[in-house]
Amino acid sequence: MITIGVDVGAKNAKLLVLRDGEIVGKKSRESGFDQETVTNELLAATLAEFGIDRDEVTGICSTGAGRKAVQYAGDKITEVTAAARACFELYPDTKTVIDVGAEEGRAIRSGERGKVEDFAINEKCAAGSGAFTEAMARALEVSVDELGRISLKSDASVPMNAQCAVFAESEVISLLHARTPKQDIAKAIHDAIASRIVSMTRRVGLNKPVVLVGGMARNVGFIHSLNTAMQDEVRIPDAPEMIAAYGAALVAAERAVVAATETGASGPG
Amino acid sequence: MAVHKTAPLKCWKKAKELREQYYRDYASAHERGGIRWTGGAWSFDAIPYGLGDDVYPLTGEPYAASIAFNREFSLECLEATEAKGWARDLCSYMRNYWGSMYLNRFLFGGPYPKPNFGFQDHICCSHAKWYQVVSEHEDFPYFSIDVSVGPYEEVRDDPHKIRYIVDQMHEAIEFMEQVTGREYDDEKLIEAVKNDCRSTSTWAKICELNKHVPAPLEEKTMYSLYVFGTLSKAKKEFADFYDELYDEVRERIEQGIAAIPDERCRLMSDTQPPWGFLKLFRYLETYGALSIGSLYTFGLIGNWETKPDGSWGARTTPMELGVEIDSRDKALEVLSEWTLSRPEWQHFYDPTLKTKMMAQIAKEWHVDGVMLHLNRGCEGLSCGIMQNRNGLVDTGLPVMTFEGNMGDEREFDMGRTTTRIESFMETLGLQPLETA
Amino acid sequence: MFSQFETWYRDRHDYARRWKERTGGKVFGCFCSYVPEEILVAADILPVRVLGNHEPQDVTEQHLFGMFCPFCRDVLAQGLKGRYEYLDGITIAQSCIHLRQTYRSWEENVPHDFTYYLPHPMHVASPHAVPYLYEELKKFRAAVEQFTGKPLSDDDLDRGIRLVNENRAALHELYAHRKGPVPKLSGLEAMWVTVSSMWVDKEEHTAELRKVLAQLDEREEQFGDGTRLMLVGSENDDTDFIRMVEAVGATVVTDDHCTGTRYFWNETPELDDRIEAIAKRYVERPACPAKDHVARTRFPHILKLARDFDVAGVILIQQKFCDPHEADMVPLRSYLEENGFPTLFLEFDVTVPMGQFRIRTEAFLEMLMEEDLF
Repeated sequence: MITIGVDVGAKNAKLLVLRDGEIVGKKSRESGFDQETVTNELLAATLAEFGIDRDEVTGICSTGAGRKAVQYAGDKITEVTAAARACFELYPDTKTVIDVGAEEGRAIRSGERGKVEDFAINEKCAAGSGAFTEAMARALEVSVDELGRISLKSDASVPMNAQCAVFAESEVISLLHARTPKQDIAKAIHDAIASRIVSMTRRVGLNKPVVLVGGMARNVGFIHSLNTAMQDEVRIPDAPEMIAAYGAALVAAERAVVAATETGASGPG
Repeated sequence: MAVHKTAPLKCWKKAKELREQYYRDYASAHERGGIRWTGGAWSFDAIPYGLGDDVYPLTGEPYAASIAFNREFSLECLEATEAKGWARDLCSYMRNYWGSMYLNRFLFGGPYPKPNFGFQDHICCSHAKWYQVVSEHEDFPYFSIDVSVGPYEEVRDDPHKIRYIVDQMHEAIEFMEQVTGREYDDEKLIEAVKNDCRSTSTWAKICELNKHVPAPLEEKTMYSLYVFGTLSKAKKEFADFYDELYDEVRERIEQGIAAIPDERCRLMSDTQPPWGFLKLFRYLETYGALSIGSLYTFGLIGNWETKPDGSWGARTTPMELGVEIDSRDKALEVLSEWTLSRPEWQHFYDPTLKTKMMAQIAKEWHVDGVMLHLNRGCEGLSCGIMQNRNGLVDTGLPVMTFEGNMGDEREFDMGRTTTRIESFMETLGLQPLETA
Repeated sequence: MFSQFETWYRDRHDYARRWKERTGGKVFGCFCSYVPEEILVAADILPVRVLGNHEPQDVTEQHLFGMFCPFCRDVLAQGLKGRYEYLDGITIAQSCIHLRQTYRSWEENVPHDFTYYLPHPMHVASPHAVPYLYEELKKFRAAVEQFTGKPLSDDDLDRGIRLVNENRAALHELYAHRKGPVPKLSGLEAMWVTVSSMWVDKEEHTAELRKVLAQLDEREEQFGDGTRLMLVGSENDDTDFIRMVEAVGATVVTDDHCTGTRYFWNETPELDDRIEAIAKRYVERPACPAKDHVARTRFPHILKLARDFDVAGVILIQQKFCDPHEADMVPLRSYLEENGFPTLFLEFDVTVPMGQFRIRTEAFLEMLMEEDLF
């Protein structure tokens, strides 16, 4: 059985193909303004590249902020459900999923078979997302990757306000004026976001093991700060930004099986 | 594939007229030689009625909520208040009201109608400061009653606490006589106190009917109905209207009329909603979900008690109990004691009291999940809300939170909120009706 | 000269723990400066004002919604992190909703033998406030007596009142040394003294302060060159901030904070009924904006302080989201400016952006100097 998960985020659209539970292909591109066209093209390109016929695809499930733009998706689920489902598949003993993307951070308490038992999403006025690191990197005139790398060089602990992004930004500027080394500021920024994320995660209970997904799971500085704040090593999947698409593909497969059982038809393959 | 019959409320039109009449009466009171006063929805509004039959209040919260519902005017009001230098995170009702005053524009037409006096109570810091500022700006006399006596369970057995409030009420009457030059009529006060008890008990009886499955009312409709208690609990016409409404809701249950056609999931909310975005509640219906109400809609103006069988029901009125209200002092005492027992105020003192009531509502109203509005616009009703969340989660209820503001649309994100609701619906195992 | 106070300020928890060991007495955490310390001192209980420590933290979000003030979150964090594990009891006098919420969260999550929520009048200008508080204080006294197992006699209460009043009087004298053209101490030093008086044993604190007062006239170090400023606003124990202000050319000479003058300004009068005397004291003290109703008593009091201490300008400090202060800030600002006192408004969080605040403070000081020229 082939199913597809499509995750349409604010920045990128990601597509993942699953054949009998195995990932056989993935592809992503910028989601742009016309998400409908982009996701159509993405599907066509993926099918062509991996030599899959459209009729072979049993189910397609979309997720992400732009999931409704995916006209060909039979199922639509939110990123919360998708992330929890995928993390269960990768690490069946997952208790908590932390998902930090460009726009928001989420914490999910994962129950049996990846069922979402409770979730929290960072509120407005919070410095707990990838966009915050981008803004801070700009203030420091470094790339986001560099921000992560240089912060690992610091073992200083500069307190910074993590409650409000605006306040935090002015603190960064204050630190720059005070000639604080960039690496220390970078660490302070990651510590602040990590503190914010841990703070939010405590709302659903900080139960271990914890899996970190989303774009920020690529940021080595953030990972270090998060591990320190939690006094634990978070697990990070190989392609943390593909997790939602993977979860969506898994859900599509499950629903196809359920539908097949209900109608009495036998599943393909 | 509707499962239940639905029908609009028959008394809807009357509700609309009564509300319009209320604001019209206030605005035009001076033309008829009447008296205007302004204060809060929690004000002891029975007291000014002793000044005569031509006394008209303007309560700030429902007025500001009406402004917030009108998003364009609300933005003008909020900006006018900010232009004066006020912080953006102050009570958003207060900021809308102040804006209407600074712009000198009444939402229902004409200039801001200046009252003869202000009459408020001090349930939260914003309430008290609100009319301090208004009375200074508009230059009118102002009286406020401090109710810092603790939760009802501590008030009940402590006569000095009631006395503190009654003493202030006596002083308030002297103040009103002085600023209006009118002689105070105790008989009118007694009637008003009885109307207050009747309307607030009847509203609770109406909410009680929503225990029924399917629910005869959903919360968006209830917002338009509970409002009379916030406009003037002691007004006879409003108490009468609630009697009528009670009969109609009971009739709906008898005839099998439900609030929504496919009731699959019963939710409960908390705190004031983001008034500019009530379509949120319509969105729930696409999942066959509805909000059966909240401690807010039930208990802000409804009076409740625990019945002998342990269930929660409308509080028995002093009249039903045969209490003789035969003097000013007695009337004030009854009014104080009655008001302080109101549920949506106990948590100003202790969130565990609120959690307990919410858990009871969840149980008796057959609630499947809770949506807590983390309302940046109200320090009072948001007080302790995270503790409430923890308490409800501990009872095993699924709880979601969404952040917003009852009266400042700039602090509410409809897109993100609907996504969050979708996630919550998924955790409850629900899919939209069309695809189900 | 002020090193003992600095140590007390810094090592507050060590002090309280040692006090407990030394005296075998009980320690109560007080969440608001309206808690009647006289009754606690009379019962040989050490009242300790619970404050934050200006560190970012990640433990309060599940208890307090983020719209409440940073101070109340910082305070709760101290409790959740076990920094006040030595407390035997906690108590709050009713004031703002923010701190009340912290108190309740603390009560629920950090167990103590004694907890007491003291209802307290919110309209200090009302004639009914004293009689009402009188009744509430009687109940508070009874609860304390029940906890210690020892009834409080009039002599005990007199001693409690005397010890607290003596400390207030000494603090007053200290502030008097800031009034003249050449202040004898810095604002930072005054902050160490005043804030530490909120947890150090009153007798001990007064004795140490008396020693300092005896030497102050002879002090060589002088603080007359700085522009004289007053700080007004929410709770403020931020020594880093005041240090910065004084480093850029100001001398802070007085304040209206609940961690400053509002805490100690007036004494408990001598009355036959000691509880009535205490009730009067707490109703008549300089008001927190949360309690300044219906008539405003706070503004004229602040103006008088500004005049008496001959300040050139006022820094208005407000904890972010602090509703009572936010609701006073606009009229207070115009009131002070109409009366000839320029103001600088700064919004505080758990930590403050020092660089930006320095620039603003410097600009403010330059402006005040210009006014001097013309």
